[in-house]
Amino acid sequence: MSRRTVVRTALLTVTWIPVMMTMGEFVHVSQIKGKSMRPTLNPSDGSTDWVLVKMFRPRNRERNDIVLFRAPTDPNVVYCKRIKGLSNDALYLDHDSMVKQDKTHLTLVPNGHLWVEGDNMHSVDSRSFGPISDGLVIGKVMCVIWPPERWGTNLNRWVGRDVLANQDSE
Amino acid sequence: MITGGKIIQHTSTLLKCFCLLHQVHVHLYEFTQTRGESMLPTLAPQNDFVHVLKHRKLVHTVGLPRGLQIGDCVVLMKPHDSSQRVCKRITGLPGDLIQVDPSYDNDFENCFIRVPRGHVWVTGDNLSYSLDSRSYSVVPLGLVVGKVVAANDFNKPLYDNGNFFGYRRIINNYINV
Repeated sequence: MSRRTVVRTALLTVTWIPVMMTMGEFVHVSQIKGKSMRPTLNPSDGSTDWVLVKMFRPRNRERNDIVLFRAPTDPNVVYCKRIKGLSNDALYLDHDSMVKQDKTHLTLVPNGHLWVEGDNMHSVDSRSFGPISDGLVIGKVMCVIWPPERWGTNLNRWVGRDVLANQDSE
Repeated sequence: MITGGKIIQHTSTLLKCFCLLHQVHVHLYEFTQTRGESMLPTLAPQNDFVHVLKHRKLVHTVGLPRGLQIGDCVVLMKPHDSSQRVCKRITGLPGDLIQVDPSYDNDFENCFIRVPRGHVWVTGDNLSYSLDSRSYSVVPLGLVVGKVVAANDFNKPLYDNGNFFGYRRIINNYINV
């Protein structure tokens, strides 16, 4: 292969990069780090999960969706948590009031915000930084694609705490 | 004569050009119209077009080399409605102590707030007609979309005093006073 063909092929490859980046705005593959979503994602220390992320453009959110969002404390860090409350939901703030169904200390999620929690108790989430703005959300986790033995994992088998207080009003 | 190979070639060229343009629009530079009275001395309520730089290093970092500083004009998503975008000026960086609204007498609006890590305090230039951090409090940096560097006014003549269409740079008026 002559030098000329090599340069030509390289240039042709470079011109496809914007197309690949545009496709990345619809679906994206992302690695999950940390144990805040245990047992749903990263169930053991040995392996890390790679997930398929759907970037949403019509921004429809549902409770118990696993989403990726920019951390409110640092825009260059991306967190992966589960939506536990949509805007205008009333939530139990702490474990005691949740067990007793005590509706005196409720948190109201503001308009255009989401309440997100990790499945693991030990996770940095809305319990420490409060509700996050909807605009910080990047995408929704669709399925686990790597490692192969975790294909077809049901992401909603364990959905974390049941914090919603306004179930009767739905 | 157009053959099948030619059609594929032209379509792929078109696709690549469109995607390149889209990527520049999303990640580097945007030219959009602004509306509303909240930035009044700096930007007109209608027919003003702004040049916005959107690179991640400019927009999502704070501090001197190239990040956001006090006095920078930014475009951001509304915290309670991410489909709307607003243009404001940064008046508080992480760690700054902010007085919410000195023009009020009551304790609630006159109190002080420490801007948390990764957040900024934004206000419009037209303080009496602006919905900004004084009502929705601090804004996370992740909602900042871009930095406004210049503006055009298409009501101005094409070429006037050495500027095309009323071109003017939006300067950081905090540093220059």
